[in-house]
Amino acid sequence: MSSKPSLGETLAVLLARDIADGEKVIIGTNSDIQLAACNLARRMQAPRLWWISGPGGMVNPTRDHLLSTADFENVESAEAWMDLPVMIDFIDWQIHFFDFAILSALQVDRFGNINTVVVGDQRRPRVRGPGTVGISALCGLAKRYYVCLTRHDRSAFVPRVDFLCGPGHMEGGDSRERMGLPPGGPKLVLSPLGVFDFAPGSKAMRVKSISPGVTIEQIRDATAFDLVVEGTLPTSVMPTDEELTLLRKYVDRRGVLRRKFP
Amino acid sequence: MTKSKIISADEAVAEIQDGARVALGGWIFNSQPMALVRALIRKGARDLHLIPAPGSIAPDMLIGAGCAASTVCVFISFEQFGLAPHFRREAENGTLKVHDLDGPGIAGGLRAGICDLPYMPVPDLGTDLPKFAPEHYWPLPSKPGERKMLAVAAIKADVCLLHAQQADEYGNVQHLGPPFFDAMLAQVSRRVIVSVDRIVSTETIRKSNHLTKLPSVMVHAVVEAPFGAHPTASPSMYRSDETYLKEYVRSSGNSESFSGYLDRYVRKSSQSAYLDVIGGSRLASLAVSESNLA
Repeated sequence: MSSKPSLGETLAVLLARDIADGEKVIIGTNSDIQLAACNLARRMQAPRLWWISGPGGMVNPTRDHLLSTADFENVESAEAWMDLPVMIDFIDWQIHFFDFAILSALQVDRFGNINTVVVGDQRRPRVRGPGTVGISALCGLAKRYYVCLTRHDRSAFVPRVDFLCGPGHMEGGDSRERMGLPPGGPKLVLSPLGVFDFAPGSKAMRVKSISPGVTIEQIRDATAFDLVVEGTLPTSVMPTDEELTLLRKYVDRRGVLRRKFP
Repeated sequence: MTKSKIISADEAVAEIQDGARVALGGWIFNSQPMALVRALIRKGARDLHLIPAPGSIAPDMLIGAGCAASTVCVFISFEQFGLAPHFRREAENGTLKVHDLDGPGIAGGLRAGICDLPYMPVPDLGTDLPKFAPEHYWPLPSKPGERKMLAVAAIKADVCLLHAQQADEYGNVQHLGPPFFDAMLAQVSRRVIVSVDRIVSTETIRKSNHLTKLPSVMVHAVVEAPFGAHPTASPSMYRSDETYLKEYVRSSGNSESFSGYLDRYVRKSSQSAYLDVIGGSRLASLAVSESNLA
């Protein structure tokens, strides 16, 4: 029945599959794919997922369409909205309150550190980004995090982020622990070209699966550092008809993901 | 008898000195104090040091109009419309000093400011923030095995500009949606100016007193400004004006077109003239949200 999934739909489905029932999740602003992933997971294997949006403070809004997470009209379908000064305590100080966060970035590096602040020098940047907001605390204090990027090129996948605002595996190996951060860090990076995880030991980014029709050479060309490649690489399993039907019928009825991320 | 605190937007910003530290409330495209921001630009304010809660057009327009020397940046974004155009340009040109702060930096800094403490401990998350804003972050001593902590400096402001939905003339301010950082910003500011979409009676305030997020003692001036958050949303009153926000981003493309924009909507205008330019049918369509049909 379903037409081919768009990039945004594919990323939402891949993320949704990795969410376990009963987990506590936080997403940020400008997060259509992330919001879709959470509400789709609630329709599938994770009906008791508890998710909150940093900006609105809304808990488990259940619209059948996607609205900006910064839009107060989302709040009306939430089971609670939390006061920011209350949320701050468990976002910014508490260790492992959140099972995971789903983030985006200007840059992600070989060890999964992320940057939403600047490309270039902070005092005279080539690109001035929106800033850090809760990303430092979510990368540092949640049990794990995901990075979801809708582009994959050498300016986004860099050896070392120009400004580290979201701590991943820092310099690799056990450097995150040595820095005094709680266990955690990036679990998966998702891009149009594939899905990436981090090799045990070195904690360097590794190719986990490749999007259909994409070659490993293409991925290497689009990445400004050496990716770990082990064995034969599987192709990412694309959304099933059932997943797409749920997504389009109950989560993104207005087709926002198809329009914004074709 | 308690004196009324209602004054005009232009009167409210008249006392803000050049070089003042100005806190801005709201959140991204919600409750940006735009009527007050436009008044501040009309007045020709200069060299302001901005302390915006995660915001969008309020800090961006002040920066674009040449009113700001520096800004704190927790998050300044135009979301689906891209990067904040003037914030981006001035930062990239090196003509705007940007103090990058993260969530713990502003949350801890405000807590310290409210409590009259010099700093607040926050977890050391290993970021590059302390390197570029050492005036805001410095390491605290820790024993082996203890959690590594940073100090974040207390944040204080000379004046705070907020927008809320309703207030009485004495300055009891009610939020009909999330108050975000507004109460914390008010508590660290020497002077608090709040624009509201409507003035209501104290009886109305008392009837739903759980909505009063800023009691009158925290508020110095109230400005009646219907659609005072336009083009951003005022929760439960009207939604954000996406068409206008796109036009703002377009007209911010070069200094000539932005100067035209400022003349049309800000410099040669007032809040009521501004609403006339936007137009009644447009404003009415923004006000028909699901929230106020409930």
